[in-house]
Amino acid sequence: MTKNLSDESDVRAATAPFQAEFPYERDEEAQVTRREFCNFLGLTSAALFVGAAGFVGKAALDARESVSLAAAPIEGAEALGPNSSLNFSYPTERDSAILIRTADGAYHAYGQKCTHLSCPVYYSRAEQRLECPCHEGTFDAATGAVLYGPPPRALDVIEVEVRDGQMWATGRRS
Amino acid sequence: MRSKPGQTAVWQARLIMLVMINIAQLWILAATVDAALARHYSVLLPLVIASGVCFAITLSIIKWWRPTSRRKTSTGYIRDSR
Repeated sequence: MTKNLSDESDVRAATAPFQAEFPYERDEEAQVTRREFCNFLGLTSAALFVGAAGFVGKAALDARESVSLAAAPIEGAEALGPNSSLNFSYPTERDSAILIRTADGAYHAYGQKCTHLSCPVYYSRAEQRLECPCHEGTFDAATGAVLYGPPPRALDVIEVEVRDGQMWATGRRS
Repeated sequence: MRSKPGQTAVWQARLIMLVMINIAQLWILAATVDAALARHYSVLLPLVIASGVCFAITLSIIKWWRPTSRRKTSTGYIRDSR
């Protein structure tokens, strides 16, 4: 029986010509038994448990990491003007960080990951503070402390010092 | 074949419990992510244990909960002929 799709009332019985090439049975697709649904919920439960365990495992690994880090120069820091910022990586290439020179000329450096959900923070020159574009968390430029928004803790602080006219990152603490 | 009213109630109770447990696990996962990013390490272990308990309950509901009209035998559950 060939029947063209005309309206909602006979949608289940419709077998338009193109459907011959795609043997797709609406009735079969729509039928999900209670047992299948229960199994699906069981799989979801397993996935949620594995996800939570994965986060805990990663947190345990992060907590074990050594705190002694090698010093690294920050290229271009000497050309940084007041009330501006510079992105760099420390301690590894994957750990983005931000160096800020505040309006009073002081240097501060922080890990660039927002402590809420790891979006990269940026320096707002107008507001003279660090802001996260994702959920509008803001941090103090001089201390890295949370000013307001959802972040639960301050930004990771990167210790910096000047050696022979060159800015160096020497450590990182959370 | 039409299922007995009591049996339908058991199936629906199972489904509702499974959905509730899944929702609780979603909340636990969100709390775990928040705590991990905030480095509140002390709450992570209780959270993952809670998620594991939820999963164990889910498994028990799927695997072992059966209507009382079914009797366990060496080859599985069979329905009593009443």
